[in-house]
Amino acid sequence: MTNPSTLNKTRKSIANLWSAVVHNVSLIIIVLFVMFPIFWIAISAFKLPVDVKKPSIIFQPTLQNFQILFRDFDFANLLWNSLIICVFVVLITLPLAAMGAYALSRYKIPFKKGLLVGILASQFFPPVVLVLPYFALFRRFDLIDTIAALVIINLTRTIPFSIWLLKGFMDTLPAEVEESALVDGCTEFGILRHIVLPLSIPGMITTGIFSFILAWNEFLYALLLTGRHSRTAIVGLVNVVGERDVPWEQMSAAGILVMIPMLIMAFAIRKYFVEGLTMGAVK
Amino acid sequence: MRNSNFKYVLLLPTMLILVVTTILPIFQVANLSFQRWQITRSLTPQGYIGFDNYIRAFQDADFLNSLWVTFAYTSMTAFFSIIVGVFIAVTLQRSSFWANIVKALLIFPFAISLTLRGYSYRFMLLDGQGIIDTILDFFFPFMSDVIWLANPFWALFWMSAALFWAWGPLGGLMILGALNNIDRSIFEAAKVDGATNWRTFTNITLPLLRPMIMVVALLITLFSSRMFDLVLTMTGGGPGRATETLNYFIYRVGFKIFDMGYASALAMILTIILIFLSYLYSRMLLD
Repeated sequence: MTNPSTLNKTRKSIANLWSAVVHNVSLIIIVLFVMFPIFWIAISAFKLPVDVKKPSIIFQPTLQNFQILFRDFDFANLLWNSLIICVFVVLITLPLAAMGAYALSRYKIPFKKGLLVGILASQFFPPVVLVLPYFALFRRFDLIDTIAALVIINLTRTIPFSIWLLKGFMDTLPAEVEESALVDGCTEFGILRHIVLPLSIPGMITTGIFSFILAWNEFLYALLLTGRHSRTAIVGLVNVVGERDVPWEQMSAAGILVMIPMLIMAFAIRKYFVEGLTMGAVK
Repeated sequence: MRNSNFKYVLLLPTMLILVVTTILPIFQVANLSFQRWQITRSLTPQGYIGFDNYIRAFQDADFLNSLWVTFAYTSMTAFFSIIVGVFIAVTLQRSSFWANIVKALLIFPFAISLTLRGYSYRFMLLDGQGIIDTILDFFFPFMSDVIWLANPFWALFWMSAALFWAWGPLGGLMILGALNNIDRSIFEAAKVDGATNWRTFTNITLPLLRPMIMVVALLITLFSSRMFDLVLTMTGGGPGRATETLNYFIYRVGFKIFDMGYASALAMILTIILIFLSYLYSRMLLD
């Protein structure tokens, strides 16, 4: 006969073992759920057309798909366009959004709540119908099919989101330092420049990368408003897919090209990004 | 709170850009929504017709269908995202070496463009050839006849899957943050009182997570109700009109049928719905 205390211990260790099993199985399920599609696109990019529709992970790898993208679809140029657009978007978004967010975070502003809601609400206007007004606007300034046009369009999206993210971040910075600097005779611009901005660097990096990803992945306007001179990599992806008899191996290769830079960036800001999104909610 | 005129200097550039690129165009669209403008007839609007475009919308079966599809799509996405999110949060709450690594992966799907997500899922769902189709046919042989994207229900489901693939993990991270903010002693007290894990979860954890779950749900609602990219890349609105969201319907009216007046009215209707929703959202975030 085993005595009751050993029995209890055995029971406890079985329970522990069981919860460890559940924990690890759950982890495996999560990893499969999150990573499997990425994994599948990644390996399909190196498959030959004959292999791409077979559910096998053993195949003769090839770089042919990437060669086709750069040779026939001008992907080097498309990636370059996307990069330039995103860099300009970030460079313009950050200072403007930082100024706006700072004003909304520290100053008394009439109808502030309404303003914040309005900035957010502007993002939910159906983008499709804005294509026509934009087309008219850009034609007036002779900006059709230019990088500049896409930069401007992306700003309408990145600035509002960045203001929200940065305001949440700045709200958490202590205002006392600024008040005492003000008393000591520092100008308001000086405070922004020498106290707030250095403290906001993590928030600025997060916001900058978030804007970069947003602009890189923008699809509708890039599709409807670009031509030969300003086409982005995402539109290139659509062109690769075409209408029928989709070359899935080339689609996957193009997918890799547009996806990898974004995965790296998102990985870099993962911690701050979630905090930024939930900032207002947790308090 | 300070109150000098410097704030206007700070806000001016942003406001200028928003007025020129968002507010003015929205007023233009609002103005167009009261006019007849079929581009196939002439390149300029064909005169004011009052509320005709709005009245027409509510008599248009395609519009009502797209309203329903958008609603079904949005709720489906929110529902599954939250299930996935809560599952992830509860799993990762227990910290372990692997849990930390898994946590770092969760942001990935969100960074992938919707365009690519749509194509990838379409590729993986190809009947008899796609990897998801192959795996599901293996485990559920009775479903091997289903052509996923040609079935009204499943097409909507998979379009939603391409979205909750990203929102589930992201929501999970957000809910995990809230979970870690809950005072540990509450769980210990429940344990001392002899509550089972499941009862602790349903009676204590979930109610405490409710505010964050609501925030996640509303974020998802706002993002998925303007869905366009996935419809274009996965289904083209089909089979029939089973996956034609409001935004895609507007696209079809504006750029396939070229009825810009009607498209503008539809846009205004969608905007009013969404402003109402973002009002709810901001109430939750700001109060």
